[in-house]
Amino acid sequence: MFFHIVLERNMQLHPRHFGPHLRDKLVSKLMKDVEGTCSGRHGFVVAITGVEEIGKGLIREGTGFVTFPVKYQCVVFRPFKGEILEAVVTMVNKMGFFAEAGPVQIFVSNHLIPDDMEFQSGDMPNYTTSDGSVKIQKDSEVRLKIIGTRVDATEIFCIGTIKDDFLGVINDPGAAS
Amino acid sequence: MSGEEEENAAELKIGEEFLKAKCLMNCEVAIILDHKYEQLQQMSDDPTNQISQVFEKSLQYVKRFSRYKNPDAVRQVREVLSRYKLAEFELCVLGNLCPETVEEAIAMVPSIKNKGRIQEDDQIEKLLNDLSLIKKFE
Repeated sequence: MFFHIVLERNMQLHPRHFGPHLRDKLVSKLMKDVEGTCSGRHGFVVAITGVEEIGKGLIREGTGFVTFPVKYQCVVFRPFKGEILEAVVTMVNKMGFFAEAGPVQIFVSNHLIPDDMEFQSGDMPNYTTSDGSVKIQKDSEVRLKIIGTRVDATEIFCIGTIKDDFLGVINDPGAAS
Repeated sequence: MSGEEEENAAELKIGEEFLKAKCLMNCEVAIILDHKYEQLQQMSDDPTNQISQVFEKSLQYVKRFSRYKNPDAVRQVREVLSRYKLAEFELCVLGNLCPETVEEAIAMVPSIKNKGRIQEDDQIEKLLNDLSLIKKFE
């Protein structure tokens, strides 16, 4: 789920940037430092939408750098256990399939794919029901439930399931062509 | 990791911080990111330099999965849904997935019933009707 939250960060700035454009410098440095990063607590920082407050700077002894506490609003993407969302399938193999929902990768193991769906290898590996009516392949859109998350230093990785009511394929690119 | 263990969106256990925070539906994120993308393009000749992969993937994702494209409809969806005393998180899951039946809605947002804010099924049905009406007249 995407959230709009307020975060705080201490920014260090070199004295050469001091002057009438100090604020601009701080904001552009903040965007460069923060956008695209990921933490286990807040998830992926997608975009900064505004700066609420820049506190008083504090000179660091010895270096001359100044630390400013900055409060900013941003859009973050944070997946939760138990959350249901839609995702695009990116890779299918006999272990299961990978899907992407925005910046986050979700793996659905073949144990968590309905039992009536069988793996078919070939150019376009896929999972298909015995009557061929439902097919999961690359670029399919699926609705899945997140059942586990693993937090890395720079990434959040999720495990999902489609073995539940109202989950599964919502759009099959192969059917349209 | 004890906090992590208890997390469960189905019971609305998403942590104090996120429970109080403003949730965004995919269609709202699409509007925000689109706007920001345009700004970045105006600021520099080569926007690809500044745009993070996270931003790009998110933009693609929300564009693909936005139920409502028209900004007026997006505003209306939030307005209509906020009449039902839903938590922010529930509101956004409903807005994102647009379930068609009451059973589907409860499967998508189990907490809707547990918390006892919406007791009657027909109230959920009314909510879903309102949603599909906005979609129809978009």
